[in-house]
Amino acid sequence: MTAWIVISLAGLGSYLFRISMVLLAERITLPDKVERASAFMAPAAFAALAATGIAASTAGSDITQAVPLLAAVAVAVIAVRHTGRPYLAVVAGMPTLWLLTVAVGA
Amino acid sequence: METAYALAAQQRRDPMVRLFAAGARAMVPWLAGIVPFGLVIGVSAARADIPAAAGWLTGPAIYAGSAQIATIEMLDDGAAPAVIVATALIINLRLVLYSGAIAAYWRGTPRWWRITAAYLLVDPSFVVGMDGYQRHDQRDLGHRYYLGGAVVLWLAWLAAIGVGVTLGAQLPSALRLELIVPLYMVGQVVGRLGDRATRRAAMTAAVVAVIALAAPLHLGILLAIIMGLGAALKVKEGSQ
Repeated sequence: MTAWIVISLAGLGSYLFRISMVLLAERITLPDKVERASAFMAPAAFAALAATGIAASTAGSDITQAVPLLAAVAVAVIAVRHTGRPYLAVVAGMPTLWLLTVAVGA
Repeated sequence: METAYALAAQQRRDPMVRLFAAGARAMVPWLAGIVPFGLVIGVSAARADIPAAAGWLTGPAIYAGSAQIATIEMLDDGAAPAVIVATALIINLRLVLYSGAIAAYWRGTPRWWRITAAYLLVDPSFVVGMDGYQRHDQRDLGHRYYLGGAVVLWLAWLAAIGVGVTLGAQLPSALRLELIVPLYMVGQVVGRLGDRATRRAAMTAAVVAVIALAAPLHLGILLAIIMGLGAALKVKEGSQ
């Protein structure tokens, strides 16, 4: 019974977080600073999530796993910078990761 | 007359269907990394000392992977219910920021829309949705784009957890598919580094996220986002 209640409460709270500003924005005006900051929300959130994912994967792995990953990130950055196409980060990065993983492990 | 009306309705509908499909397609790169994560959550729920159905319920109820994992693990460990709920909510604090960022685009929409759309708000749907709103001047088109991505994500997420719970499947760990999502986000960040303030936001957030990797309760991501926003505003105000 405890598990059901805990999961339901965590779910309810998470939903209230999701809808909080959506409902409040009708009744209150966010400060200018917050409105201006929202323009930078996406790049800040993407960068934080990407850095966390990459750092967590490298921190817990040995050099044979870390080097291919860091090289894949570098290739992804170069590919997007040169072409301006964000999806190439995955298209170029994952094969680099696989190839180097095989090469380093061999 | 009726034919003309049907034709006009069809023409109005088409861009909506097209945008819904475009949003769904934009979610596809996320699914390759997210589905294995959903399977992992399902498997961990199946192995934990809780009812399998309760483990699966974390999907539709909490609907955020990190908080779901934390909830399942802590329930399995026998942690105090209040601590488990508090931990899940702290991990999900970033949803308030997402809510604040996307609220401007939902202003003036019917209440049912906001209630439904907010339920589907999580990292990937936020990313895809914001991209859609920034690409399309008409809000209606942005809504469809958001909904297309969010619905596909929701269905795939619940299906993946269900498969994990039911089968306890083995993940193809050698492919390291979990790294598709960080790489995808690298692409999104690099593609947006147009002005100095945005670069500062991204760089600060990335550095703080790495430094705060060991921060308790997954607070590092929230802290990194706030610091990134602060750094960008400082640059913006300095240039005015």
